[in-house]
Amino acid sequence: MTIETKVDGINVIATVTGEIDGKSAPQVQSELLAALQDGNRLLVDMKGVTFLSSAGLRMLLLLYRQIAAKKGKVVLVGVSEEIRDTMSMTGFINFFTLSDSQEEGLKALS
Amino acid sequence: MMSLCLPATLDSLDEIGKYVVAATSEAGLDTKPAYGLRLAVDEIATNIITHGYEEAGIDGNISISAELTASTLKIVIEDTGIPFDPLSRKLPGEDILNLPLEERDIGGLGIFLVLKGVDDFSYVFTDGKNRNIFVMNLAGHN
Repeated sequence: MTIETKVDGINVIATVTGEIDGKSAPQVQSELLAALQDGNRLLVDMKGVTFLSSAGLRMLLLLYRQIAAKKGKVVLVGVSEEIRDTMSMTGFINFFTLSDSQEEGLKALS
Repeated sequence: MMSLCLPATLDSLDEIGKYVVAATSEAGLDTKPAYGLRLAVDEIATNIITHGYEEAGIDGNISISAELTASTLKIVIEDTGIPFDPLSRKLPGEDILNLPLEERDIGGLGIFLVLKGVDDFSYVFTDGKNRNIFVMNLAGHN
């Protein structure tokens, strides 16, 4: 599992690759929270994420709360169909903006 | 498939995942049911490792086996951690699943995903071991 973050103007772009499970979710969470800037505009590119368990949902929940509390925005890009299914059945999908590409995601952030 | 015995630590989740993926591929399961089973096994294995061993301060192993018949793929996880029936936990209902994320309590989502992901899930405690059993019907899934 790898996380790369870069700052693009007022946006933070984080690219996560691998599996987000009970082992890796805490690491993803702390790196994403640490990468957040004052504007709290975060794009998480998940094209390379092949698996997300409930530990990953918990991580998304904490991220969402942190950003919502600061009136920021978060966009998830390239979420696989299986992970979308998990997010749908648990009701998570309604609270996140999902985009197919980084370009589209950045538009949604602005 | 040969069964696999691993130390009950979160590092073993990778191997457990690979084992399930290999079993679903041998069974010829479609992508979605294969993912659902893999997710279900991961959720239960994570609970066993975290609550059954680590939080309880117990060291031990977790074993996983797969049995393929003409009509089903069965995965069994066995462990000697604290006895725990995952089905004894209250599942989140529609009322909870529709709450805004600000008000959500995340508990119970893992078991919810287990039951959504497999055709049958059961738990037994026998001979000092927890046995969590996951069954996928092959008809209609491949």
